Amino acid sequence: MTSVGRVSSDSQQIARGLRERDIALLHALVEQYQYRLVRYLIYLLGRRDEVDDLVQETWVRVLERGRSYDGRSRFEPWLFAIARNLTIDHMRRRKTWSLDTALDTDDDEEQVPRSPASLDPSPFVLAARTEDAQRLAQSMQTLDFIYREVLVLRFQEDLSLQEVATVIGAPVSTVASRIYRGLQTLRALLDGAKHEN
Amino acid sequence: MKTDPHATIRDLIDKTLAGGASPEDDQSLQEHLAACAQCQEYLSAGNRVIAGLGGFSFDVDPGLEGKVLRSLRVRAQQLETAQSNRRRIMWGCVAALVLMITGSWVVLEFGNLIAAELNLPPMQVQRLLLALWVLPSLCLSLLFPALPLLSRREERFL
Repeated sequence: MTSVGRVSSDSQQIARGLRERDIALLHALVEQYQYRLVRYLIYLLGRRDEVDDLVQETWVRVLERGRSYDGRSRFEPWLFAIARNLTIDHMRRRKTWSLDTALDTDDDEEQVPRSPASLDPSPFVLAARTEDAQRLAQSMQTLDFIYREVLVLRFQEDLSLQEVATVIGAPVSTVASRIYRGLQTLRALLDGAKHEN
Repeated sequence: MKTDPHATIRDLIDKTLAGGASPEDDQSLQEHLAACAQCQEYLSAGNRVIAGLGGFSFDVDPGLEGKVLRSLRVRAQQLETAQSNRRRIMWGCVAALVLMITGSWVVLEFGNLIAAELNLPPMQVQRLLLALWVLPSLCLSLLFPALPLLSRREERFL
């Protein structure tokens, strides 16, 4: 079977299981996607403390809304879109956000709250395992989440530009320009850190 | 006005790294890179950033999976209960409607017959049958859909 055929058959199987609210299938999905979901939410939030609650909420939402997944596209973009919508709602609900929220008026005029500073150590610093990752870690915290999330979706999750666009609900051109800007910012910071050392 | 001759190629490198370059873009990029150390360095810096992103390994609470599965089981149970309640209410409505229609038909068909048998005015018998059969079933068919709302209100007062 070709990889496209396998993806389609897996997606159909997932769609069928979600329609039937098959707990065994959900268990398998939780096992398979847990780390990736945690990683995506950390990139999105830039903090660790609320991620576990959002992971739980995401899976519960997958159970509730499972019937809307038709299996014609891959499961990952659908899962990340649910996690993203919940996270944005969560950010908007928080009282502290209403006090110091700056609305993003990016090129696509999407209005999303920005992450507030956390007192906890940066999750990127704690998670950096390589020299380059250590150099990037500080910059990741200051980089806006709209750039962090497209970078993780494109380069870690290996989603296509079209799939990333589906997750974030923006045109492909916006996704591409965010990736360029994210890469440029990190490249400059990485170069700066290299020259300092 | 002079422009950076490598700016277009750097844009192309970003486009390639993002995965949005066409085969023609790719070919012109390769041709330029073969003779340009500056742009090669730009490309390798971009690749280093991407590789650096792969150098993060986040810890996941080992208890998280268990918590997620427990929430899923509880929610699945709630959804199952809600669904079976909805089904029961729907069938209740259908039964009440059938009763009402049957009742109306009985009143029309047999009202006069029963009145003659009991020596009563037909209108009185029809009214009695309406009161005992059709009205209760009409009330039930209207009440069934409102049951979830009533039970929720009751829960709020408790």
